[in-house]
Amino acid sequence: MPLLALSLVTLFVAAPVFWLLKPHRSTAFAWLAAFLPAAITLWQALQLPAMANGAVLTERYSWAPRLGLEIALRLDGLAVFFGLVVTGIGAFIAFYTAHYFEHDDRQGFFYLLLYAFMGSMLGLVWSDDLLTLFVFWEGTSITSYLLIAFKSDYKGAVDGARRALIVTTAGGLAMLAGMIVLGLHAGSFNISTIVATPGIATAAVTPVALTLIFLGAFTKSAQFPFQFWLPGAMAAPTPASAYLHSATMVKAGVFLLARLHPAFSELSMWFWTLFLVGGVTMVLGGVSSIRYTDMKALLAYATVAILGTLVMLLAFSEKYAYEAFVVIVAAHALYKAPLFLGAGIIDHAYGTRDLRRLAGLARRAPLVMVTMVLAALSMAGVPPTMGFLAKELMLENFYQLYEHGDLLVGGVGFVAATLAALFMVGAILTLLWEAFFRRQSDEEAAHLHHAPSFWFVAPALLLTLLGAAGALLTGWYENLLFAPAIAAISGATVTVGFQLWHGWTPVFVASLIILALGALVFLARGVFRRLFASVPARVSSLAVYDAIIEQIYRFAFRLTVLIQGSPMAPQLSITLLAGVAVMVYALFFADAETSRLLDSLEVPSVVEWVFFALAIFGALTTVHARSRLSAIIAIGVVGVTVTLFFVVFGAPDLALTQLLIEVLTVILLVLVFFRVRPDPQFGRDNRTPLRVFMAFAMGFFGFAVVMINHLSQVGPSISPYFIENSLPFGKGANVVNVILVDFRGYDTMGEITVLGVAALGGYALLRSPQLHALRQRINAVRRSRIPAPGQKPEQKVVETGHD
Amino acid sequence: MTEIYLRLVDLILTPIIMLIAIMLFLRGHDLPGGGFIAGLVFAAAIELSILARGAEATRERYGPWLAPLIGVGLGVAVVAGLIGIYGGGFFRGMWVELYIGASKLKLGTPQLFDLGVMLVVIGMAITYLLRLSEAAEAATRTPTAGEGGQS
Repeated sequence: MPLLALSLVTLFVAAPVFWLLKPHRSTAFAWLAAFLPAAITLWQALQLPAMANGAVLTERYSWAPRLGLEIALRLDGLAVFFGLVVTGIGAFIAFYTAHYFEHDDRQGFFYLLLYAFMGSMLGLVWSDDLLTLFVFWEGTSITSYLLIAFKSDYKGAVDGARRALIVTTAGGLAMLAGMIVLGLHAGSFNISTIVATPGIATAAVTPVALTLIFLGAFTKSAQFPFQFWLPGAMAAPTPASAYLHSATMVKAGVFLLARLHPAFSELSMWFWTLFLVGGVTMVLGGVSSIRYTDMKALLAYATVAILGTLVMLLAFSEKYAYEAFVVIVAAHALYKAPLFLGAGIIDHAYGTRDLRRLAGLARRAPLVMVTMVLAALSMAGVPPTMGFLAKELMLENFYQLYEHGDLLVGGVGFVAATLAALFMVGAILTLLWEAFFRRQSDEEAAHLHHAPSFWFVAPALLLTLLGAAGALLTGWYENLLFAPAIAAISGATVTVGFQLWHGWTPVFVASLIILALGALVFLARGVFRRLFASVPARVSSLAVYDAIIEQIYRFAFRLTVLIQGSPMAPQLSITLLAGVAVMVYALFFADAETSRLLDSLEVPSVVEWVFFALAIFGALTTVHARSRLSAIIAIGVVGVTVTLFFVVFGAPDLALTQLLIEVLTVILLVLVFFRVRPDPQFGRDNRTPLRVFMAFAMGFFGFAVVMINHLSQVGPSISPYFIENSLPFGKGANVVNVILVDFRGYDTMGEITVLGVAALGGYALLRSPQLHALRQRINAVRRSRIPAPGQKPEQKVVETGHD
Repeated sequence: MTEIYLRLVDLILTPIIMLIAIMLFLRGHDLPGGGFIAGLVFAAAIELSILARGAEATRERYGPWLAPLIGVGLGVAVVAGLIGIYGGGFFRGMWVELYIGASKLKLGTPQLFDLGVMLVVIGMAITYLLRLSEAAEAATRTPTAGEGGQS
């Protein structure tokens, strides 16, 4: 049974089904929505014993066999570890969402995106092929974009979504280039093959490939200096923030680095890049988290700090670093999701998540308080939680390095980790105190809209309890869950056994000091907030990003004015003259056998002469037309005549298409000219020598090129192949249709994509007020350039230029 | 504003043209027709309705069905290609042949793909026709109208 592919297909099929169900209820639907991810989680959990014994599940499907493209899925220790996070947290989020969007018509659309994301993310962590991984990677970027922009009437959401999309897809493109370089060098895009290729780490192309892949991983996982998109993504509905922007999607970059770790971790480039970028991100995120009074922004910066920590830990190839990595991933998923969900419940119940407007919720929402306090204990690293264990292991890693003589890395790492951790302790203490325990809010207190139901809080509470169980049951499950993942990251089999209590080691003392200093940071939070507020806004990577985007827009605007600022007629002349030039060039270099011209010479029949006459008549009428409407109809006559030719030559499909296109084009043109100012000058002074020349040149060379092209056919024609194989291979007697939808299906796919994009562009152009404003700006520039007396200034100016 | 005769023609012809479009689509694999042509014919039917009833009334009548057509069409086309992966590659044609009594009915992914083409073509054509007609109607409502036309 291809269970991996089946799981993914089920998720993608379930996505639109949930949308079509149009749910807006909470209770029963929540169970239904959680069922599928829960089932996949259970199935993955059942694979754990086999994974612990080193088994792997692989599935391969050919995608484009002649190009060697395939879709490869592989379930190993790392894949199942991340997969459990994806579907496990996903089940809780799916349950929670039904309550979050209670009685909301858009619940179904949210589920569509949520499931599509889940499928993409699961596919990403199960991929064993770089290009398969890339496709799923982009899938997560797009669903993330749509989820951030979910409240599309709120400008912050749209801006944040666009920023996230531009940053992550730009990184994704760089990564694709890196993957292709790597794959071409290794001769395979299969990840396990690439990682096992001998000498891949020292190959000449590796630095380039790795740099590009790093760009993808760092943008996706919000590493410095790309971290700014993540706080902006907090405009998403809370279930999406908790799921995508904390537990799963932002870990995709970290996951990719972990996948590549066995092959490249020996490189000093690998070590220093990850150590420095991850370290800076960790300190920056941790320290900034104290600044924010928006609960989600505070949690987002804490997430940035954790992502930095994970990247930094992947720099090392040490036992403690691996252990810290996997425990942090698990602990973070289990404490950060409940914190986000709790913030969402408060937002839902009070209409705000701004700490300045909240106070004393402990009495009014005790269950939320218990949940968030339990989760916060783990985040702060208070013993005996999983967060504590994670922090101990990380500090132990640096301490061991220090002990073994690497004073610089060990010392700097230890101090940086301590610094980030103590500010996070201060931040989470601030959140708890201000929201739950203090008596008086800073600003006007928010009022309770409606109290959260038990089932709304239940998923968050259960996740916290799972985290607590994870800590208390240490010693029972590590070799099942963590050891296979570590084995996949390190490339060697390991056994792990954690102990919560190490005795009074230096690391334990450091943990206590972090908690004490964190409490001091909490007490001095006002000082830090004022300190951050005094930093000018332009000292941030967000400001740099905005400046770059602003410059791109300006450049695009100038380029548009330069190329398309002039009126339609001169623009068309440029296009037509360029076309003539290309055709003349083609004729010079054509290799035609003129003898065949005489061979294929046929005298047209009477009917064809009539058609020729009709077409010429139509063309002349167009030129002589005195109003736009008659010109449009005359052009229609030419088009219909062409249709008649298709009929005579036995091409009914072409004839039908041409006729329909003609009819619809005439209607469209009539509709378009409703919008254009009436032109009293129409048909009078437009036969300038230049235009007459262009018309003749276009006609003459167009005819000549078609003729020569017909004569200089090289190689056998493909038409007989299509005609012979249409019925046996394509199972259709209509060869034209079989070519369109089967033999050349890729072409048609491209064409309908263009059609769709063109329709979207037209839709926007014909309505959007922004584009209307842009057009006015361009017109203003045009007017300021062209001295404008008289009725048709534009035409005169440009024509004298050409004459 | 709208002519009573044109409305009568619309009442009778629009459904017939739509049926012709569906027929052209269904027979397209073996006889002249196919998704592209069927889509255009269908768009012509909607255009007739626009001319007879006006764009707003047409949008009210068909709008909810037409709005997502481009996306749905592209989705159907991609799914048709993806099904091929089960048979050995993206866009590999897959066929099922059913026998209902003596007549043979064949269903395949190329036809599904053709359906996607049809939906995209309908969506594209209607997007432009409706948008432009609405703009034209807005223009005729103001006293300084554009030249010509009946609408």
